[in-house]
Amino acid sequence: MGFCLRRIMYMIPTLILVSIVTFIIIQLPPGDYLDSLAADMGESGSDNTAVVETLRQQYGLGQPIYVQYYKWMKGILLHGNFGISFEKNVLVTDLIWDRLGWTFGISIMTLLFIWVTALPIGIYSAVKKYSFGDYTATLFGFIGLAVPNFLLALVMMYVSFKFFGQSVGGLVSPEYIEAAWSFDKVIDLLKHIWMPIVVVGTSGAAALIRIMRANLLDEIYRPYVVTARAKGMSEFQLLMKYPVRVALNPFISTIGWILPSLVSGEIIVAVVMNLPTTGPLLLRALLVQDMYLAGSLILIVSLLTVIGTLISDLLLAWIDPRIRYQ
Amino acid sequence: MTTKNNKIKYLETGVAGAIMAFATVMPAYAYEQAPSLDEQVQAGTLPAVDERLPKEPLVLEVVEQPGEYGGTLRRAILGGGDQHNLVRTIGSDNLVRWDANWTEVRPNIAKSWEVSADASSFIFELREGMRWSDGAPFNADDIMFWYEDIFLNSDLTPNKDPTFIGSTGPVKVSKIDDYKVEFNFGSPNGLFLQNMAYGFGYHVTAYPKHYLSQFMEKYNPDLQTLVDAEPAAADWIQLFNLKAGPMDTPLFWQNPDRPTLHAWNLRNAYGSTERVVAERNPYYYKVDEKGQQLPYIDRITYDQVEDVETILLKAFNGEIDYMLRHVGRPANKASLTDNMERGKYHFFDVGDLPGNIMILMLNLNHPDPVKREVINNKDFRIGLSHAVNRQEIIDLLYFGAAIPAQTAPREGSELYKEWYLKQFTEFDTELANKHLDMAGLDKRDDEGFRLGPDGKRFTLVFLVADVFGLQYPDAMELIAGYAADVGLDIQVRATDRSRLISLHTANEQDAYLWNCSGGQADAYTAPLCYVPMISNSVSWARLWAEWGVDNTRGEEPPQAVKDIFTAYNEVKAAPTPEEMKNRMGELLDMSMEQFFTIGLVQNNPVFGIARNNMRNVPDPLPIAGQLWFPAPYTAQMYFEGGTNLP
Repeated sequence: MGFCLRRIMYMIPTLILVSIVTFIIIQLPPGDYLDSLAADMGESGSDNTAVVETLRQQYGLGQPIYVQYYKWMKGILLHGNFGISFEKNVLVTDLIWDRLGWTFGISIMTLLFIWVTALPIGIYSAVKKYSFGDYTATLFGFIGLAVPNFLLALVMMYVSFKFFGQSVGGLVSPEYIEAAWSFDKVIDLLKHIWMPIVVVGTSGAAALIRIMRANLLDEIYRPYVVTARAKGMSEFQLLMKYPVRVALNPFISTIGWILPSLVSGEIIVAVVMNLPTTGPLLLRALLVQDMYLAGSLILIVSLLTVIGTLISDLLLAWIDPRIRYQ
Repeated sequence: MTTKNNKIKYLETGVAGAIMAFATVMPAYAYEQAPSLDEQVQAGTLPAVDERLPKEPLVLEVVEQPGEYGGTLRRAILGGGDQHNLVRTIGSDNLVRWDANWTEVRPNIAKSWEVSADASSFIFELREGMRWSDGAPFNADDIMFWYEDIFLNSDLTPNKDPTFIGSTGPVKVSKIDDYKVEFNFGSPNGLFLQNMAYGFGYHVTAYPKHYLSQFMEKYNPDLQTLVDAEPAAADWIQLFNLKAGPMDTPLFWQNPDRPTLHAWNLRNAYGSTERVVAERNPYYYKVDEKGQQLPYIDRITYDQVEDVETILLKAFNGEIDYMLRHVGRPANKASLTDNMERGKYHFFDVGDLPGNIMILMLNLNHPDPVKREVINNKDFRIGLSHAVNRQEIIDLLYFGAAIPAQTAPREGSELYKEWYLKQFTEFDTELANKHLDMAGLDKRDDEGFRLGPDGKRFTLVFLVADVFGLQYPDAMELIAGYAADVGLDIQVRATDRSRLISLHTANEQDAYLWNCSGGQADAYTAPLCYVPMISNSVSWARLWAEWGVDNTRGEEPPQAVKDIFTAYNEVKAAPTPEEMKNRMGELLDMSMEQFFTIGLVQNNPVFGIARNNMRNVPDPLPIAGQLWFPAPYTAQMYFEGGTNLP
């Protein structure tokens, strides 16, 4: 318990530091949101600075950086207000809530996809080392690792467009965008959502297969396994109870990284596949220097990392008796 | 006797009654409405069509024939920075408009106007009985509201739009009666009607007093409660800007409650949803020649996407009904052609024809005296111009769909002259070397690069951003290569657009690659490359431009440039179109003689796609930065058969 509290206490200064660094880095490039807006507005033949100056006052962009930071932090801590998005002109919280939902939904399903595929395959290829199945898994694993996600996304979209005539992009077909949730809409969603899950999950699964295989190979020749087998334990029970449990260690210690990498790692895939997740929002916010939106998203991702690390530490301590709270 | 009297009386009332009945019934035969509105009218939630239309609706001349009601115009929109997608489909309904060929200014919201002999005063007559999209009356008070409470309010408008500034100061607007408004500049402003027909003329008729006055201290003493209720606003000015933002920023399209005079009105805000929807304005003031109220198409949807390629795939799938934006690029033409049958669309021409799409903009006001001296030497610019192999750039990057040209009005424009376009465009390294030698760069270092007047290698840093799909970075690499062939050291620095702008607006750049309007009729109102002007995107003599606006600022230019400023004032003061054209011609002669910027390429018309059953689609469609087409004409487009193709 004391351990838990201590860990949570450590999280606070970490997050404060992250928020400061985030804010500074976002402000580092010259110019601000209004410069990007001015750039876009050039297209209307508006070659005057009138509008931009008006907005500059409204957004308070002329103020020094520490004042802006102070206001931002104050809003978050006192009112849960992450500021407004300059480009969308709504509260950041209103904007990201929906998208965080989709992001988590897809992330969790992807995580499940990764584990469901990687664990059994990893165990299988360790136990049946150098078999035909092992080689097949290894081949697909390497392909999965080597092909960039966005490329896989493009290829899959092209194939589904070309051969299945499916409407591509987005999580539902255009006719369902405004429709209320119904059985048909869910079916339509399922027709689309497997694609991002497979695309984002492939490389993660491939990596975990290799890790699982290597770890398990380390374990299954250990004397304690031989002892257990000598005592007549069934092969499957033996495998699951000892070596797999130990080999799971890296799975758990990387949970902390998987959460944020699923949130931020799918950015390009989300842009390509037009998913309503936080990725495209963050990319766009960074491009136009929509600083409160970008800052808040990065802060949330950082929070996820910290929480994820905490979870994996606690899980590790629970699953691996060799770890002590010191 | 009494019976007779009674009979006559009866007759009289009968005739009067018949006339009354005729008067109320007749317009119902005259005007028709979209069937989708019938239910509301029958239920009494919407007045009948002749009560919604002004007394004299605008009868819009259609492109082919009167159309049929129905259908949804489907488009795609990018998740950010794409508000012009909305502006250019529904945003442009001004007091006056350009005709569909961009040749003549026509009545629009104003049914007529009078111009004083010296072109300093403009009286617009509005349409009696015209209404905002929520049914509230629109009249001179709304224009006065814009003028007195927004334009003159320095909190809301700290800097005024140049459309409304004459040579002696901002316009004075006064109400003559409920339907007549005078705009008086106090000095000639011959370009005012043109400017009002271009995009930025929208200001005057975009501020509904009955709706927006609730967000002003002056009209609403209880304003603070509204401010408190809006978390994105800290004071009333912020609140007002949120509710009444300018049309060319996302703000305008993020307030679906704001009544407009447009053909379609937003149902939800742009930016935070997966689809932006606009539905017909039942009070739209235009009809076709058969008396059918416009628009024909019921609604417009914009599916939000993050990537331009996704729009292409949607087009291939037949999910885009009418679009030129994002899709109409030379690089997309082949794949769009391959999928024409599947997507059931065809191409139309788009006259998006600026003065030049690729211009070497050297900074004539460079802060470094050595570089400034060289850049301001016309021979240097001529030499650089001859060094570039324009045809190769066109073949490699634009698939041959362009011509080598200087920054100049195009062939077909009334201002076109061949020498403007062709001077110094031939690729000739010998000639280039000769001019560069004449410019004083005749010594070279041991690597073969030319030395500047200070004895050091003369280097120009070119900024380049990847914008508009014009492949500037690729072109710049080629150009740096051509320059090296004649001993000029050009360094290329890729950057993003906002940084590029902040650098050149601070006058810190050597040079950059950009484009310029002024290829067609917009040469009059946007001569950005012919006259030094303050601009967000075009900078080649920023300090002179500042001096041109206010003689106490910037830097005094040479006499030749002062003459050009004078010439432009004469253009604006010209009382007749003929006179204006002559003055503009003189200005262009002087400007071309100066050879301020080095133009490389004028593009061929680009294209857009329309589904095969879309009718009344202007082809070719003129379009330009200031000309927010086709918005004034989308109301007359329709689907043959009254609905989208499957």
